[in-house]
Amino acid sequence: MNELFRIIKDKYVILTPLFLIIFIAQFEQYSQLTSSGTFGSALRLSIPILLAGLGGLFSERTGVVNIGLEGMMIMGTWFGAWGGYMYGPWGGVLFGLIGGGLFGLIHAIATVSFQVDHIVSGVAINILAVGAARFFNILAFDGIAFASSTASPRIEGEIGKFNFPYLSGGKIGENETTSLLGNIENADIFLVSDISALLLGFTSNISYFTILALLIVPLSVFVLWRTPIGLQMRSVGEYPSGSESLGVNVYLMKYIGVIISGCFAGLAGAYLVLEGPNVYLQGQTNGRGFIGLASLLFGNYRPFGVLMGAGLFGFADALQLRSEEAIQGLLVVVGVFLIMLTIRNISQRNIRGSIGTGLLGSLFLFWFMSSTQVPIQFIYFTPHLTTLVVLSFSKQKFRMPKKVGVPYKKGELN
Amino acid sequence: MNKAISVSKITKSFPGVLANSDINLEINEGTIHAIVGENGAGKSTLMKILYGMVKPDSGDIAIFDNKTVLNSPKDAIDSGLGMVHQHFMLADNLTVLESVILGIDKATFKNINLKRYTSEITEVINKYNLNIDLNKNIDELGVGEKQRVEILKVLFRGAKILILDEPTAVLVPQEVDELFNNLRDLKNNGVTIIFISHKLDEVLEIAEDISVMRGGIMVNTVSADGISKKDLAEMMIGKSLPKPPKRQSSISTSEILSIENLSAVNENGKKVFENISFKLNSSEILGIAGVEGNGQREIVEAIIGIHNYETGTIKLENNTIDDFSIRERLNLGISFIPEDRQAQALIMDMSLTNNVILGRQSLAKYKTKLTTVNLTNAAKASESVVENFDVKTPNTGTIATALSGGNQQKYVVGRELEDNPTLLIASQPTRGIDIGAQALIWEKLRNTRDEGLGVLLISADLEELIGLSDRIVVIYQGQFVAELQPEEITPEILGSYMTGLKK
Repeated sequence: MNELFRIIKDKYVILTPLFLIIFIAQFEQYSQLTSSGTFGSALRLSIPILLAGLGGLFSERTGVVNIGLEGMMIMGTWFGAWGGYMYGPWGGVLFGLIGGGLFGLIHAIATVSFQVDHIVSGVAINILAVGAARFFNILAFDGIAFASSTASPRIEGEIGKFNFPYLSGGKIGENETTSLLGNIENADIFLVSDISALLLGFTSNISYFTILALLIVPLSVFVLWRTPIGLQMRSVGEYPSGSESLGVNVYLMKYIGVIISGCFAGLAGAYLVLEGPNVYLQGQTNGRGFIGLASLLFGNYRPFGVLMGAGLFGFADALQLRSEEAIQGLLVVVGVFLIMLTIRNISQRNIRGSIGTGLLGSLFLFWFMSSTQVPIQFIYFTPHLTTLVVLSFSKQKFRMPKKVGVPYKKGELN
Repeated sequence: MNKAISVSKITKSFPGVLANSDINLEINEGTIHAIVGENGAGKSTLMKILYGMVKPDSGDIAIFDNKTVLNSPKDAIDSGLGMVHQHFMLADNLTVLESVILGIDKATFKNINLKRYTSEITEVINKYNLNIDLNKNIDELGVGEKQRVEILKVLFRGAKILILDEPTAVLVPQEVDELFNNLRDLKNNGVTIIFISHKLDEVLEIAEDISVMRGGIMVNTVSADGISKKDLAEMMIGKSLPKPPKRQSSISTSEILSIENLSAVNENGKKVFENISFKLNSSEILGIAGVEGNGQREIVEAIIGIHNYETGTIKLENNTIDDFSIRERLNLGISFIPEDRQAQALIMDMSLTNNVILGRQSLAKYKTKLTTVNLTNAAKASESVVENFDVKTPNTGTIATALSGGNQQKYVVGRELEDNPTLLIASQPTRGIDIGAQALIWEKLRNTRDEGLGVLLISADLEELIGLSDRIVVIYQGQFVAELQPEEITPEILGSYMTGLKK
């Protein structure tokens, strides 16, 4: 809990725009900015990024850079689809995890046992995964109806969803309850409605897979900070030779970290399939593995931080899908936020920073005022742009594990 | 008296070197036993053998009268040994508590019993008077505290014999006193301590028995009572101990460097130094004393142009150099010996000849007409450095890694003095090198000073600072707090200024 509070304190950079968003959402045409539907899809869209980010966390905490998350996620999509096709949705979850874990193992063998440069191995895995998924797909589904070289057949069945009773209209037994939060949202009260929309988005129509993914966040905190294995994993990323001198099995810890990393990335892939179109499609991950890495950086190598980062990406993504007007609203938010940052920079005499934020901020506002419609290309691009802007202007202290990316040879003092 | 350790006829050779030759050593239980010797005398190898990190070619080891074969540090720990390395084996992202218990539990997913560990560790801390806060993060700790954590770590693992490898190398005198008090407490509680050092004063103060090593052999083991420093030194190096010689010549009045009201902040907006003003004349060595991290490094970087400064001016001879780039400053005749030779002074995988050009690459001397690198001149310069500074290397085409630390440092100092600089900034010029190389560097610095060079000297070795400097200023928390005459002070006095006890 303390962890959560500290992050909130550190992350006023997020909280200010959040407030701005709520404010702007009061205008009718931008109301989609804070509708429960937006929040709901933001949650769904952020889960794969969250899982990939948590995967990156485990790997990088043990000192292995995992740029191969994207590839492991691709394996997750294919294995998830295959497992789902053969054994039903939960089989898909399991096999997604295994598929990602297998590629994690490959990355671990290359980087830990053979001291291959982490980036080289990661890039290799990303390239390999695309081809491997396609190859497996042809091998497994040749001649089956609706399957092609780039798509699997449909998975039958779905992972269960539920609504909280009373809060969001879930059932108790056979009786439907009222949706308290829904009623408040519809009442359109400033702030109160927006917050209940947020809660409604997070409590209605929630899949069990989503809950599983969210539970991994506190579980990661527990494992990394409260168990001997977590302690050893963290020490290995920071100072492997020192840990070795205390009898820690450095290689084993790195292997475990990277394999867990692959498993989570695989889960992320499976989520994309099972909570999405229910089929494997080539290119389904669409760079989310890399976004996961970005959210890891954003979250400063802490599980709840990753959750915040993933949430931000997910929100921007959800807006893009739901409404073009909302994107316009987002332009204002970013513009105003940048102008606020400029004022702060000027008061702190950070000249270079204030020129940067000032220019960008006026550009956003100018864009908003001069156009009635945002170009479609820009809409696709907004989630990444918003996040980039927030990332680059939030002057915060990142603390990486010290020996991340440095190959470690047993018995070597460094 | 019981023997904690007895070693007989240990021999260990590495390719080309006989590191330990027929070593016999007996250490009494419950004593502090010092092992002294120059760098390369074989102390470290012997300790690594005792700690199971290196296997001896022949010979026997008995710990508490049990003959033991040590295959790994784990065996050594199991038989009651603990090692405090010179470089701390601590991960910065852990708390003290976590650092102490790291590796004790098997790597499982069970909850760590923090409560039990806290009370057990607190017990150890109280028993030996260690003064450590368990909840602090390692990166918040000072050097002395980190060392106590290392000691606590091995004690908590049940060590009865403690090996301390050059424990005072990183400490200021006050911290050394504190460490010695801790060690005495440990001894009174029955812990045996092996204390490795080459600082004879300290050894005489703390140890009861002293073993002297030289060139891989055990010269003698003597009792600390009734032996003089001179005798020890003669045993250790075969001749008397070199001291940084005090100066006789007079400082000239021509001003080389003049700094006025310099202030700077770091990237987090915190002040690193404030209102620094001083002057340096030619033929003068000005020493800056200070505990590491009090701003002396940033001042040096500001003079060279690496670190920005908000206010103030720097004048080199007649030029105000505030707007000069690093290259322009260096070309005006500033030479710089950085504190970390391997990270900052040399490119380890390059030949000596290529390394000689570093920092001088824009001089006409090292360029051909086509502005390519003039390797002929570089080779000449490199050879002259090797010759003048007695650098032991097969030839100047050898890569820097192949040289020993002392020879690397001699080469760096030689390079910086090669092109007749007007100002030399020497940061830790003799850190971590053997006495022979140290004496040579001292002599060269003194000679070039007499020829008119102005030297800004920063050193953690207070003897060196007092011995070489013509004047010493003390920096504490980014400000000069005192200016002292080296003839009038001792390392203890200097230490109390450095830690802010005295103003």
